[in-house]
Amino acid sequence: MASASDTITPAEGVIRAPRERLWYPYLLIAPSMIMLVVVSLVPFLYTIYLSFHAAKFGRVTDFVGFDNYAVLLTDPRFWNSIGVAATFVLIAVPVEFMLGLAGALVLNQNVRGRSLLVPLLFMPTMMAPIVVGLLWKIMLAGSWGFFSYNVLERFNLLEGTSVFASPEYALYALIFVDIWQWTPFMMLAFFAGLQALPTGPYRAAAVDGASPLQMFFHITLPMMTPLLAVIGLLRFIDAFKVFDTIYILTGGGPGIATETPSILANKMTFEFWNIGEASALAVLVWLAFFAFCNVFYQVAKKRLNAF
Amino acid sequence: MAEAQSRPEGSTALLWTSITVVYAAIMLFPIFWMASMMVKPNDAMFARPTQFLFVPTLEHFSYVLEHGFHWYLLTSFLLCTVSTALVVIIGTPAAYAFARFEMRAKDDLFLFILASRMAPPVCLVIPFYLIFAKVGLLDTFLGLTLAYMTFNLSFYIWVLRSFCRDLPVELEEAAALEGWSKPQIFRRVVFPLLRNGIVATAVLCFIFAWNEFLFAFMLGGRAVQTLPVSIPKLITSQGVRWGEMAVVGMTALLPVLAVVFVLQRHIVRGLTLGAVKG
Repeated sequence: MASASDTITPAEGVIRAPRERLWYPYLLIAPSMIMLVVVSLVPFLYTIYLSFHAAKFGRVTDFVGFDNYAVLLTDPRFWNSIGVAATFVLIAVPVEFMLGLAGALVLNQNVRGRSLLVPLLFMPTMMAPIVVGLLWKIMLAGSWGFFSYNVLERFNLLEGTSVFASPEYALYALIFVDIWQWTPFMMLAFFAGLQALPTGPYRAAAVDGASPLQMFFHITLPMMTPLLAVIGLLRFIDAFKVFDTIYILTGGGPGIATETPSILANKMTFEFWNIGEASALAVLVWLAFFAFCNVFYQVAKKRLNAF
Repeated sequence: MAEAQSRPEGSTALLWTSITVVYAAIMLFPIFWMASMMVKPNDAMFARPTQFLFVPTLEHFSYVLEHGFHWYLLTSFLLCTVSTALVVIIGTPAAYAFARFEMRAKDDLFLFILASRMAPPVCLVIPFYLIFAKVGLLDTFLGLTLAYMTFNLSFYIWVLRSFCRDLPVELEEAAALEGWSKPQIFRRVVFPLLRNGIVATAVLCFIFAWNEFLFAFMLGGRAVQTLPVSIPKLITSQGVRWGEMAVVGMTALLPVLAVVFVLQRHIVRGLTLGAVKG
């Protein structure tokens, strides 16, 4: 390749460079951007279009303005789904956060055999959500499930029936499953953050005779804050769109006790075929996610110097 | 950390290691339990109190094979391979471009990519279903491949860009001074250094596609049926076939088990979209 440089005169290089710089990156991103416009932007715009039309049973008819939105926003079932999702996220994510942080601190001690333990701990997060659902359907199945028989029945918490059929407890069971599934993610992300911390401040603090608790609150926590915020935010966004596990475990039931906006939108589309209203719901959810996503980007970029 | 280094290692190491091992054992117990159900006869499965010892049976395996579940496995494998390959082919240059070059509205384009990654699949499945029904992509291999692009192509570009930014730009500058053309620099300098990042990110894409349920269930399901979609179909009118579900569930788990061991640190980086370097 060295011979190639001999054939190019400096003058050529100067003239060609700016022109090349102009179109080359766009050429590189073009296939991807076209693809994403087709599979992401077009569906989004189409959903907006649908949300302003009467569309039932797959036939799109008249323009109805904001009617779908009006119907949706006065539907108690919609507000119920918001409440369910809020309960789900506001319990699951903080618990995952605290357990994950505690776990990361333990893992950060002199634990042996990490290269074997860390991958195993990752299993719940990496496995298919539908398999997670299946797993807990088995563990918590009616009278014979391992957990429901040996724990729930033994302590007289719930007898003979599956916890997922209980209007009172089904949502908490789903939260429990989410915690099982996602605590490892929090734990290992925080652990990665702890591993990246500089050791200097700890040495200095040890010389000054600081206690481990003091070190945690005055060194670890302040240095970890941006990372904790970014991971917490990411999990918060993801927890809102949980679908698979809820779908296989309760399908939103019993009644509407565990019906999140995701489950509701899916039911509106594929069970009631009320596509106009489902699209209105989808647009609202979508807009909320754009806002979340923007916050995540700004926080991660500014506070964590990521991206 | 420093505090641990100043103490005698042995006793604390034992303590913290045992805590972690016990925690892992409890957390992974449901997986072991499901694995045991693959060979557990039905009467032992529903026994009260819980029966730990039983004569293993292969009946669940034979049911699964008789009902053609190996074809769903093959479908899953092909679909994930093809869609991941497509992602790598068109996504790699884009990730590199976003890491290295100045472009107009780069931040907005980049945020658009993040937004497509973050978009809730339930919102996408509505327009996909209607559009696919119109153009005849419903229940086709191509349709699902396209649908998987929304989350996997955006994910791939986003994460691989963070790998690109870790590469020293000096090498590329030196190659440019040597008079190498930009495609040559990409092929001979960037690509070899980026190979590990490409493999790690692609494997994660494969797993996301492998685990995907909603699109496969709503946009496919008959002609193109993946492994996760076949699981709810074992809830039959004659009751739920638990043992068979365990067999299919564990089959779906195997590649994931392989991947967590191979990828290790890269998983954190991938799942945090590159925000944590792992």
